[in-house]
Amino acid sequence: MTEKTRVLLVEDNELNRDMLIRRLNRAGIDVVTAENGQKALEMMHQETPEVVLMDMNLPVMDGWTASRKAREDDTIKHIPIIALTAHAMEADRLNALEAGCDDYATKPVDFPGLLIKIEKLTR
Amino acid sequence: MSLRRRLILSLFTILVLFAINVGTHFWGSYARSESMVAYRDAVTAAQLSAQVEQQLDDQRQQILVLATLRDTTDDQLDSPELAQAEQDIRSIRGNISELGELSPEVTELQYQRLWAAGGELLDGWLAFYRNYNDPAFDLDVEDPLPYLEASQRLKELEQRQAFIAVQRANIIDRTIALTDRITVIGFFASIFLTAMLGFFLVRYTNSSLKRLKRGTERFGSGDLNYRIDNINDDGELGDLAAAFNTMSDKLRNAIYDVQRSKDEADEANAAKSIFLANVSHELRTPLNAIIGYSEMLHDELDDRDEVDRPQFQRDLARIVQSGRQLLSLINDILDLSKIETGKMSLHCESFNPGEVLTQVCDSLAPLLKQRNNALQLPDFSELPPMYSDATKFRQIFVNLLSNACKFTDKGYISVAAGTVSGKDGWYEFSVRDTGIGMTDDQQAKVFDAFVQADSSTSANYGGTGLGLAICRDYCEMMGGKISVQSTEGEGSTFTVILPADPELAHAAA
Repeated sequence: MTEKTRVLLVEDNELNRDMLIRRLNRAGIDVVTAENGQKALEMMHQETPEVVLMDMNLPVMDGWTASRKAREDDTIKHIPIIALTAHAMEADRLNALEAGCDDYATKPVDFPGLLIKIEKLTR
Repeated sequence: MSLRRRLILSLFTILVLFAINVGTHFWGSYARSESMVAYRDAVTAAQLSAQVEQQLDDQRQQILVLATLRDTTDDQLDSPELAQAEQDIRSIRGNISELGELSPEVTELQYQRLWAAGGELLDGWLAFYRNYNDPAFDLDVEDPLPYLEASQRLKELEQRQAFIAVQRANIIDRTIALTDRITVIGFFASIFLTAMLGFFLVRYTNSSLKRLKRGTERFGSGDLNYRIDNINDDGELGDLAAAFNTMSDKLRNAIYDVQRSKDEADEANAAKSIFLANVSHELRTPLNAIIGYSEMLHDELDDRDEVDRPQFQRDLARIVQSGRQLLSLINDILDLSKIETGKMSLHCESFNPGEVLTQVCDSLAPLLKQRNNALQLPDFSELPPMYSDATKFRQIFVNLLSNACKFTDKGYISVAAGTVSGKDGWYEFSVRDTGIGMTDDQQAKVFDAFVQADSSTSANYGGTGLGLAICRDYCEMMGGKISVQSTEGEGSTFTVILPADPELAHAAA
């Protein structure tokens, strides 16, 4: 891997955001961030990350809406999205996949598992 | 009309017709017997008349012969012959009076004439016999006039009686014909009426029964709003239909009640599931930070010689903060669960609400300073004491004031308290801030569990989203209520109204 993988982290919780940025950086992944769905869509256009880690419960525009909109936008619809959420029910997983997410991870995040998911989607 | 009355009426009508027939029959019989009597009278009268005529004729012949004999001979009549003659004349007189007894009312005139003429004739004849042996007596019996007169009167009486007999016979014939006709008409009328009554009875009863049957079928097949209408029957079937409709109403209401209870149970069940999902979600958020930071620190310790101590401490503080948030969340969930299962009870004691409020404000002074807020706290010493649950009272205002501190930056927070004018024994408390405020939609559900202005709120401001739900439940337990008024961007005012004694409030309600 000559070039670092770049990930867009969409997370409104300050602690969780800070923690994930640092852990992803340590794993050799570049991180850009957004605090809500609206900003996430803007960042996907600006930064064209290779993967998006999207929290679902977000202010302004939630993760489901943002994912759906991303899938309707031709310039960014190829960017894979991993849903990150504390909603752990099976129905929530289906909701996320239905909204256009490619994968799904529940909080608390199993970090090695998350890295595998990212790698799978960037290969 | 009721079935019973219909049957009774039918029976009565048939009986009346039957009575008419029977009456007509007796009338006919009576008319026939009358005709027999009249006929017998006529025959008797004819016989008697003939007999009297014959007797008169015989007597006259005998008297004429005797008169000739007397003129020509001197023969005397002996007493047996005289007695015989008198006997004969009495017999004629008796027969005439017998004639008078036959139909006396319509032959009176003729009879009186006959009686006068006959009497004169017979008197003459009697005088003839009695004085027959007296040679000095002049017997004048050859004159035919009295005899002819009497014969004429006898004939008149006879004719009269014959006329009367014919007239009566005609009347009687007509009567018999009439009674026969009445009997036949009555008979057919009975048959017709019975058939009609039967027909209508069956028809009306049948249509009512059909409606009842249809109603039962429709209701039975689940059409709970179906009612039997147009029952023009105020009798047993109408009553039955009305009873059916009443039963239908009650059944429908019962079914609706059951349905509503089921819906409520389903709703409660769904609410529980949502609550559980929310609990799971809310527990995972701080856990994510705790586990994430712990794992990260673990990794950092593994692969670095020098630990960035200040950074390490900040991270540990974050873990502790998240852990505390988790603990308070669990405590709140337990409290809420206790309230909702009815296991939370009030422990009432006498306390001074002003004092408690002042203590709460003092204890929250560090939180107040965090965001540079100023607190306006008036003097509460005038407030009368309450008899209520002081712990819950304190908790309500800790929650409200921490919220006010959390959602306000460099602003003012004011607490007000007083008694409600016009409502003896009620207090009104309010906590006002100049913070971020809420939209109308947010205000509408701010007291629901796990609801904060939006999901980033807990991230940016902390809190579990259960505090206001607990405040609302506590207020209600203590017999009062809580409300909010807010403008987005300008601030919020939470108002709590509580009775001095929850028992009195519950008793009054």
